[in-house]
Order: sequence, then C-alpha cells, then structure tokens
Amino acid sequence: MLSIPIERFTLDNGLRVNLSHDATTPVVAVNLWYGVGSRNEREGKTGFAHLFEHMMFQGSEHVPKNRHFELIERAGGSLNATTWFDRTNYFETVPSHHLELALWLESDRMGWMLPAMTQGKLDNQRDVVMNEKRQRYDNQPYGDWDEWIQAMVFPESHPYHHTVIGSMEDIEAATLEDVAEFFQTYYVPNNAVLTVCGDFGRDEALDLIERHFGEIAPGEEIPAIPGDLNLDPTIGATVRERVEAEVPLPRVLMAYRVPPYTDAGFYAADIAGSVLGTGRASRLYRSLVRERRVAKDVTSFVLPLTSGAGMLLVWATGFPDGDPCEIEAALAAEMEGLSSVTDQEIKRAVALTETALVRQIEQVGQRADLVSMFDQFFDDPARLNGELERLRAVTPADVSAFVSGFLGAENRAVLTYVPATVKSATPGVA
Amino acid sequence: MSESSRSVAPSAGPVRSFDFPPVHADVLDNGLRIRSVQVGRLPVVTAMLVLDAGEALLDDSRAGTAVLTGDCLEGGTAKRSGVELAEALETIGAGLSIGTGWDSTTVSLSCMADRLDDAIGLLAEVVLQPAFPDDEVERIRGQRLAAIHQREMDPVGIATTASRRLTYRDGVPYGRPLGGSVESVGPFNPTAAAGFVVAQYRPKGSGLVVVGDVDPGQVRSLVETHFGEWTGGTGLRPGIDAEARTHERGIVVVHRADAVQSEIRIGHVGQARSTPLYFALRVVNTVLGGAFTSRLNLNLREEHGFTYGVRSRFLVRRGEGPWCVSTAVGTDVTADAVREAVSEITTLVADGPTAEEVDAARDYLAGVFPLELETTGQIAARIAELLVYDLPDDYYADYRDRIRSVTLEEACEAARGCIRPDEMTVVVGGDADEVQGPLEGLGWGTVTVARRSEYARAWTDRQ
Repeated sequence: MLSIPIERFTLDNGLRVNLSHDATTPVVAVNLWYGVGSRNEREGKTGFAHLFEHMMFQGSEHVPKNRHFELIERAGGSLNATTWFDRTNYFETVPSHHLELALWLESDRMGWMLPAMTQGKLDNQRDVVMNEKRQRYDNQPYGDWDEWIQAMVFPESHPYHHTVIGSMEDIEAATLEDVAEFFQTYYVPNNAVLTVCGDFGRDEALDLIERHFGEIAPGEEIPAIPGDLNLDPTIGATVRERVEAEVPLPRVLMAYRVPPYTDAGFYAADIAGSVLGTGRASRLYRSLVRERRVAKDVTSFVLPLTSGAGMLLVWATGFPDGDPCEIEAALAAEMEGLSSVTDQEIKRAVALTETALVRQIEQVGQRADLVSMFDQFFDDPARLNGELERLRAVTPADVSAFVSGFLGAENRAVLTYVPATVKSATPGVA
Repeated sequence: MSESSRSVAPSAGPVRSFDFPPVHADVLDNGLRIRSVQVGRLPVVTAMLVLDAGEALLDDSRAGTAVLTGDCLEGGTAKRSGVELAEALETIGAGLSIGTGWDSTTVSLSCMADRLDDAIGLLAEVVLQPAFPDDEVERIRGQRLAAIHQREMDPVGIATTASRRLTYRDGVPYGRPLGGSVESVGPFNPTAAAGFVVAQYRPKGSGLVVVGDVDPGQVRSLVETHFGEWTGGTGLRPGIDAEARTHERGIVVVHRADAVQSEIRIGHVGQARSTPLYFALRVVNTVLGGAFTSRLNLNLREEHGFTYGVRSRFLVRRGEGPWCVSTAVGTDVTADAVREAVSEITTLVADGPTAEEVDAARDYLAGVFPLELETTGQIAARIAELLVYDLPDDYYADYRDRIRSVTLEEACEAARGCIRPDEMTVVVGGDADEVQGPLEGLGWGTVTVARRSEYARAWTDRQ
C-alpha cells in the first residue's frame, strides 16, 4: 500500500546511497547508518560504541569543536545521533537549501575525524556519558532493568549480553587509541548507508554526495562480531531475579528470546506483542489493568534485533501493596493464553500499526531512518513499502505456533522489583 | 573535492519559501469553533478537540479533577462499555489520546483518512456522552493515586514538585503538581467527573481541529452531524493571580540519601503566553538554555562535563508560568554546577546577549519552524494553541517574520525584565550530607535542608 519512492546508488568506495524525494515541505533529512553498535564491543570495552558516537560531535579536521551544532542550529536545523545494539545512526533535518551543509559536516567526520581528537575532548565526553548513565539508568527507579534482562536472556558469550550504555569502569578506561582504532575499523564508507529524504533536486544531490563522500577511502573488511552468535532459539528454562531497590511500586518484567528481525518468523512475534500490549483493548491492559486490577500500567514491546535472536518484553507495575507473585502469575497466564488469538485481534493490531507507521513516515527524518534501516538490515531499502503487507499476512495459526514455540515457561526471564525500605529520610542519620 | 574547498562550510542554496498551510475557520450554531487544514501528503488525518477545561480552574481542594475526568473518559459512554469503546476505536486504528494541562483538556485521535467519519463519531460520543461507571472511576482513581506515589519517589518529580511549590504563593494552582495530591484526589468520584463535564465541556469555548488528507469543505457537515446537538453556554474562566512566594534568593536541598546525582532547578515566576515580549523571550531563552549551543549547555556540559544536558524554559500559560533552568549533575560537582549556572544567568542579564547570539537564535528559531510542522498532529497542536490562547487564525502567517524582527535592544530588555537573578530559588534534589556544605560555601546564605515528604505531599498544608 505504501509507495515511497526510493532510488539507490553505490559509490565506488562502497557507500550505499538512497534518495527519497518529497517536496511537501521545504525540508530535507540527511541520515547515516553505520553498521556498528554495542554488539561489536569487546570485553572490557562495553559502552564504547556510544562514547564514540559522542566523540563524533567533537569536531573533525575542518570543523572545530561545537561548530557542527552551531552551523546546523544556525541553519534552523535539528540533529542528533543514537547508538543501538546493531547500528549507530546520525541525522540532521535542515531547511532544504542547507542540504550541502549537512552533507559536508557528515562527510568531514566520516573522512577526517581523527586529526581533531584530543585527550581533553575525550575526558570531557567521558564525564558527559557517565552523567548520562547516572541520569538515565543509575538515578532512575527501575533504571537498571535492561542490564538485568539482557544478562538473563542472552548468555555471556553473546554480544547482546551487555547494554549499550556499558559499565562505568569500561567507559572510564577508554583511550584515544581506542577512538582511533574504532574509527579506522568501523567508520568507513563500506560500512555505512546514507539516505537523503525530502525536498531536493536529484541530480544536484547525487553530485553533492559524490563530491563530499566520493574521495573518502574505503576501509578493510569489517571484522566479525565478537563472541558466539549461535544461540538456541529459546533460553531453555525460566530464569528469575528479584531486586530490592528504591522503587515506589512493585514491577514484574518478563522477557523472551524470539526470532531475529531478519527471520520471517519475526512478524508473528511483532503481532503477538501488539495483541498483548498495544492499546486499551489489548489483552494485558484489559486483563491486568481493567478487570483484575493487579497492575496500574502494562507495557509490551518487541526489539527488532538481527544477531541471533530478538527479544519480546512485557512488564506490569503493581500497586503499593501489590503482590508480585500475583502479577507474575497473571502475566504468565496471558502470555500462554495468547495461543487462542482471533482474527479480530490481529485486525486491531494491524490497524494500530498501520496508523503508527504512516504517522512515523510523515516526518522526513523518520522516513530516512527507516530507509537506512531496511538497507542496512536487509540490503533492500524499498522493503519499507511492503512492511504492512508482511504484518497483514500473519494468521492466527502463525501466532499460535509462535506462542507455543516461544512464550512458554522454558523461554522466560522474570525480573521482579520490590520496594526496599527507604534508607534514611532524615539527612545526617545513616 | 580539494582540500582548500573542504575547509570552508558550504554556502546555502536558494531559499524555498514556507507558508503555514491555510486554516479554514468555521463555527457551529452552538458555538463550537472548527479549524481545518488540508495536508494531502499521506492518507492520514488528526482530529483534536480542545476543551476549556484545564487544571488552573480548580482550587487546591479539587486539584486533579480535570486530569482525572479526562482519564475517566476511557471508562465508557452511554452506548458502549470501556472495553467496547477501546475495541471500536482501535479496530479503525485510532488510539484515543487525552491530554490535560493547566489551560485545557485535549481529546484527539489520528487515523487513516478513510475512517475519519467513524473516528469523529467516536470522539463526539466520548466527550458528549461519557458514562463514568462507578467501577471504572474507582479503578482510574486508584491508578492516579499510585502514579502520585511514583512521582513522590522519582528524582525528577521530587525536584520539580519542590521547585514549583517554592516558586508560588500558597493557593496558586501552578505551585502544585498538575495531577493533584493524595488528599485532593481521594474524594474524586463519578459525581465529581460528571459535574466537571457539565461545567467545562461546553461547545462555546471549545474547538475542533481537523488536519490531514481531508477536504475542508466537507469538514463542517461532518462535525455538524456529530457535534450539532451539543448545548451549553460558556464555562468558567477565572483569572490567575500567579503571585510569587518570595522575592529573595534561596537554596533548598531536598534530601535523598546516597543519590548519585543532584537534580537542580533554578527559577522564579515567569511570563504569561500573552506577554508582549513573547518573541524576544524566545530569543533570550535560546541563548541561555534553549539550544545545544546555548551558554548553559556549552558551559555545564561541553566545557565542564558536569551533566548530560541542561535547559532553560519559560513555561508560558494563561497566567504567569514558571521560568526554570533544569539539569542533573554528579553529586560531587553540585555546588560547582550551581555556581556556573547562576553565573551564566547573571552575566546574561547584566550584559545582555551579543548581536551575534541574537542573530544566531533568530535564525535557529525561524529555521526550525517548518521542521516542527511536518505532521498532521504537529499542525493540529499549533492550531489548538491559537484556540486556547485567543490568538488570531492568521497568527502563524508572519510568525517567522516576527522572530526575525527581534532586535538586540529588545532581547536585552527582555532578559533584564523577565529574569531576576536576585529572586531565584535554587532547588537541589540530592544527598544533603554531600552537597549542603559545598552549597553553603557559595556564600549565598543559609542552605535549607528538607525531607522530601515536606515538598512531595505537604503543599496542601497552610503554613
């Protein structure tokens, strides 16, 4: 049903380029995916892919520190970057007459980052990232959930065992040599996808891309992902952890290994996740929140990961005096009961996904990001246009097979948070 | 490309003009205003009903009533139970979104354009015929109480709650948390919800915004069909007297034992949405803490590494909302961060922004305007703002020109007039055992230490 126009090219140095035109609004998005994420980190280097992403904003040979932000903000643009398990993305959305500025900035740090690196910049960004970890993980109720869950769902030998933010020790130990080696290994045109989406002239854009990125030398072949990617399809048992922490309410999380995004079986997992937890008519909301009232809120999502397995995760937050065992039993019953899914439930899940996807691609930045993703993960950027059809093709029988194969007790990680007694409400009293 | 040409930033190409899309204005006989905009890039549409039903209408004893009434709309209608209502909406791909603020309640949904008729019918049913069954109201009240309990233990919630309470005099709504307290939410029941709907969910003072792949010529009859029978005069709209609690500088630490970071809030009473300095203030705030390259962020993050980020905001409302700088910093650098932030604020007010900074801020704000108007939801929210704040329909036509016309003198004057360094209250949510001494070392007088419960709950107390 979607018909997003996408033209694809490859430069001589291996950089994959996608152009997707839409002149509705005079803005243009520049989006770069590098095929490197936390899965590429070696022992003792956790969190480095993300720290490196911060260093990419510290300037390059022709762009002094802070200048990248100054130029884009001055142009009336927005910009950011994110690091994830399987990739790191960088993006700018700018008024369309500033397309070349964004391309120049991205190309300068792809080709000429290292001459600008200094110990002072690294020290500064290590502090920033450690404060990011404190703010988003350590000083947040339940903020360490993904550390627990990833370690429970994936074995120590697998690269998804550790989190994207990594450990404080490893972040602190990062050196300039690490920066140089990581850059030369992974930040090469043959490990990147560039998507330009929005209001631009096709020939002019191609010419600018060739001019700015064409002379960047390709790197070596990308090294294999460290660790052992071979995984059993399921965890093989119920594994559980109980955490007493300074949290206001009990919360039970359940996570499951599911087929990776690159496997055809992923779509049944995605639909199952929506039937369970998307919207007020979803099973978990209806049962745990509306009817049984053991939870004040429920959440479900499916992580579209590509290396060995993905992950389906649900959680339910209880009331102050709630019993975590009761919440766990209620969650487990809904997970297993999903084998009886109806056509109507799938129809609802697809309709909500359809609206969400169309709303997402209203923004050229989001659209560009999806095009880059489909290129990086599937070598097929135009796959975006068929995504809804793949979801619509899922049948109740597919979901039942998925549920019996993946959502049972032999593939379950259960993490329970219980409120600890508050240490000391009065200062000076230990 | 040669080395020499790479060393200079490329110049911009020819500018393409951007116009805010035309807004078609209409009004039903019952007073309901209609605003529609055709955006045909994708087959999607957003319908947003704005009700003059914000929390600022309520006194402290009923705080949270607007939020809870909005939440309880999902409990069902005269025709459908809550479950049936959710089914009906979600089967057409339309999740209902209810947002309650100080100045309004908005009930909105987005869906594929060919389902708009059904969607607007359901939107009308939710707002005009809510049922508020006992059982559902009780459930949703329980969820709200649990959420209040969560807020009271959340580092961000603790610091923000204390900051607002210390900013405003007792009895000013903006000094309390939006969703109310355990005490004010306790008595909420179906009668309270129905009473609030009768008083404030009225066609006069409300507006329905429809944006997307739809012919504006057809919107009126669609709205008339579903909202034509709605009756009632204008609801209450009392003025807000947003008086400050204090005009003196102070530092308060809200203690959290062993906190690994301090949540910092610095601020005082700010400005109303109607301020004539609105555009100049946007420029000033961008320079201070409204962009990545703002003075505060470049100092606290990019120079000192104290924080992941810091920002400054004027929260403009019908009355004078707060001006607030917020950040989270490492416990050991808390006093250093406060000193640097206060120094940046004081310098900006004393010397004003530079001409270069004003230029850059104007270019940034004018440039990002179209970036924030890509989706039907973003456009609808912008138009809803016009309805809530009584701004003219063509307000956005010269929005960018008005940003660009802010002068250096106006920016300096706005900074001096709207930021008062001697009246700032600094709130630090963190480990008092670690931060009190260093904060006292700043030499700004006594540092008051409070237990978190004093600010989390006790705002209803009359002290």
